[in-house]
Amino acid sequence: MMVLMPFTLAEPAAFPVLERIVFAGLAIASGALFWRRFGPILHRILQSRKDADFRLAPFGRRMWEFVSQVLCQSKVIRQRPLPGLAHAFVFWGFCAFALVTLNHCAVGLGVGFLSPDGFFGRFYFYFAAVFALACALGILGLFIRRFFVRPRWLGAKLSWESGFIAFLIFFLMVTYLAAFFVPGGSPAIAALWWLHTLTLLVFLPIIPHTKHLHLVLSPATVFLSRGSFSRIPPLAGDEDFGLVAGADLTRLVSLQAYSCVECGRCTEHCPAANTGKTLNPKEIILGLRSYLNEFGPASAEPLLGKHNPPIAPFQCTSCGSCEFQCPVGIEHLPILVGLRRGAVNTGAWEDDHGAKLFLTLERGSNALGLQTSERDKFIQKQQFPIFDGTQEYCLWLGCMGGYDPKGREIVADFASVMRYLGTSFGVLHKEKCTGDPVRRLGNDLLFQQLAEANLEALTQNKVKKIVTICPHCVRTIQEDWKEYGTPPEVEHHSEFMARHLSQLPKPSQQESIAYHDPCYLGRYRNVYAEPRAVVEHAGQLVEAERHGERSFCCGAGGGLAFLGEETGERVSHVRARELVATGAKTIGTACPFCNSMFRDALAASGGNAPQLLDIAQLTARSLPQQDAPSAS
Amino acid sequence: MKIVVAIKQVPERDAPVRIDAAGRWIEEADLQWALNESDAYALEEALQLKEQHGGEVIVLSAGPERVGSTIREALAKGADRAIHVDCDDLGQRDALAVARLLSAAIQPDSPDLVLTGLQSDDLGYGQTGVILAELLGLPHASLILHVEKSGSGITVKRELEEGWFQNIELPLPAALTIQSGGAKLRYATLMGIKRAKTKEIRRLTAAELGIAAQASITLDRIALPQKQKTTQILTGTAQETAAALVEKLKFEVRAL
Repeated sequence: MMVLMPFTLAEPAAFPVLERIVFAGLAIASGALFWRRFGPILHRILQSRKDADFRLAPFGRRMWEFVSQVLCQSKVIRQRPLPGLAHAFVFWGFCAFALVTLNHCAVGLGVGFLSPDGFFGRFYFYFAAVFALACALGILGLFIRRFFVRPRWLGAKLSWESGFIAFLIFFLMVTYLAAFFVPGGSPAIAALWWLHTLTLLVFLPIIPHTKHLHLVLSPATVFLSRGSFSRIPPLAGDEDFGLVAGADLTRLVSLQAYSCVECGRCTEHCPAANTGKTLNPKEIILGLRSYLNEFGPASAEPLLGKHNPPIAPFQCTSCGSCEFQCPVGIEHLPILVGLRRGAVNTGAWEDDHGAKLFLTLERGSNALGLQTSERDKFIQKQQFPIFDGTQEYCLWLGCMGGYDPKGREIVADFASVMRYLGTSFGVLHKEKCTGDPVRRLGNDLLFQQLAEANLEALTQNKVKKIVTICPHCVRTIQEDWKEYGTPPEVEHHSEFMARHLSQLPKPSQQESIAYHDPCYLGRYRNVYAEPRAVVEHAGQLVEAERHGERSFCCGAGGGLAFLGEETGERVSHVRARELVATGAKTIGTACPFCNSMFRDALAASGGNAPQLLDIAQLTARSLPQQDAPSAS
Repeated sequence: MKIVVAIKQVPERDAPVRIDAAGRWIEEADLQWALNESDAYALEEALQLKEQHGGEVIVLSAGPERVGSTIREALAKGADRAIHVDCDDLGQRDALAVARLLSAAIQPDSPDLVLTGLQSDDLGYGQTGVILAELLGLPHASLILHVEKSGSGITVKRELEEGWFQNIELPLPAALTIQSGGAKLRYATLMGIKRAKTKEIRRLTAAELGIAAQASITLDRIALPQKQKTTQILTGTAQETAAALVEKLKFEVRAL
């Protein structure tokens, strides 16, 4: 036996009664200390308001997310491969260790069930040893990263608790592995057992008040999450105005607030936090946690105040990179939009630009505040047919497409692509803003009015399919309007053009085009390939450093295009620099808001700015000359 | 302070106005309606006075059923209750006749202050407010941008021409017509709309106010204004044309 296996796990054979009693006493004390801290947290989560729209179905989706994100650590690894793997090893090590630890405690009470002499026991101890080694290396790596590499999104302050916990985990593994090297019968066996046990018992009560609470909560948070990206829950009843005070926090929000592991992935990618704004998505979540700790979930104390600055939620571009990255299932957008709703629906938010936008849309039809007759003139000039139910598509112009000079050029070019393909389309005689900016800014009254007016117009005109150049319109029509009716099928012009590429002429020259992913097309709609196919058809695709799912916002979303001057650096300038740095001759966009932001940013940068074209314009360039009227 | 704000519902600013078949009034069926702009400022002024000094804001509007939506909007923004003078013959009443309706509705409340917009965006008489003050026997001031309480009366800021302002004091009770742009308007909120549901809207008819349904004005024919586009070429040296252009932008187009 000893020849075949030079190492074996030495377990203490039996403990004297006194030691058993001491162990049992310590274990109970450790458990009690854990519960003293964890109990109130659980209570605060369960005391929070129920999520009115919560459904356990679809169960399959939840199971899949649990398996993928928790068990396989997919999000943790994908966003940060090296530290992600290190974390995964620690996690898997803990999982493999569960049985060992259970047995370890059982041994202390004299009822150990895994024996190194049995086949399964021997196998499992070696199996766990492999994970213990991986876990020890993983935690060592994470320790070096946190205390020596120190990426800025982990925060400037070093936490001694983090270091202590890393040490405890490392020591747990070391004391387990060391037992393999101790000859049977040595007094060191009992000493190692006690060291391992004491480490465990010290670790347990530290969990609830540190970020290590995610060990306990985040599997539940991931499993229970709302699921669809940036899902804004409907308001429940006559007294729900969004997140105003503690009493408005729902169980999901409170659970998420306590689940934050402070990894800072949200901060790392946040356009606001990276350009000198007050908003830091991680601090918003931690602010809610501090609020719950101080005031509890039944309080009437405003949520925006002591623990969260009132300005912060209104600096969010709703780009969603925070929610997209979060490995513990926190849904930042419903929270940020919820805080805005609380402030706007009660009239607490006072902002000149915001009030102007709201008043403009209360009275008028478009967010740009122009006369509706301007849109009529544009339609006449372009000779767009009016939708009468006979055409296949309703071409939705949107505020930018109907009123903005550059947006009009994009629509005109897309219309010429449709004409070239022989696809029938018509525009609505009357069209109002879809309500995207006011939806994101949290004005539910105005959003409802706009959504209902538009839904009525679409139903009257028997519209079945909408195509539009604006990803914000696509998202709002398809997802947000559902609260007030059944919207028609809607698609973005990139999807339409990608389907018809084989019928569209290709240019002879291959110029380089850097494509910028609009947040509302990428993260919100998961459309990355179609616009790229269109760009590759028109030239040579160049990728910016940040692209696809991790693309950086242009700064216009979340209603911010209408809120005037930013503090700090402009988001659009940062992104425009990245796109220029690709060296591409042309910047390709797929959203009129991105286009408008970059137009200003490129003009401000001066010099040899690349040209800026929407994918519709890139496509229309190669069409044979038509007698179509020019835009604007 | 008890404040009555008289408001009017007018066609939305860029609504396409069409003349009806008889040629005597506009086609109302398809129109979108909104609160008259300067009335919105009168309401805002009243709400701010209430917020500072307490009291009650009562909105008053005359018109058919559809006026209800504008009344509810005013209640949502913070007015406490409303009086709706139900009548669908406003087109046959001139400013004096309308002011008679309003004054009869106001009198039982004997408010400290009566506010109304300077003029309506649709008919633009600019008379109803001042006639109303006369009928109520109240001192009045027009073109008011701002109202402040001072002692037992008020101090108001009046807009004169060419950027001049006049500050005058009035005793209370008084009536004022409010100019647009003096304050920042508040936006309508969900909470406001929900609270407005429980607020009182009292409906009165002309007959109940003791006023006969008798036409005071007869419209013979109405017409849309003719659009005219003229192009002028300015000649002379660059300096002369620039000076002439500035002149025109200032005094003809009023864009500067």
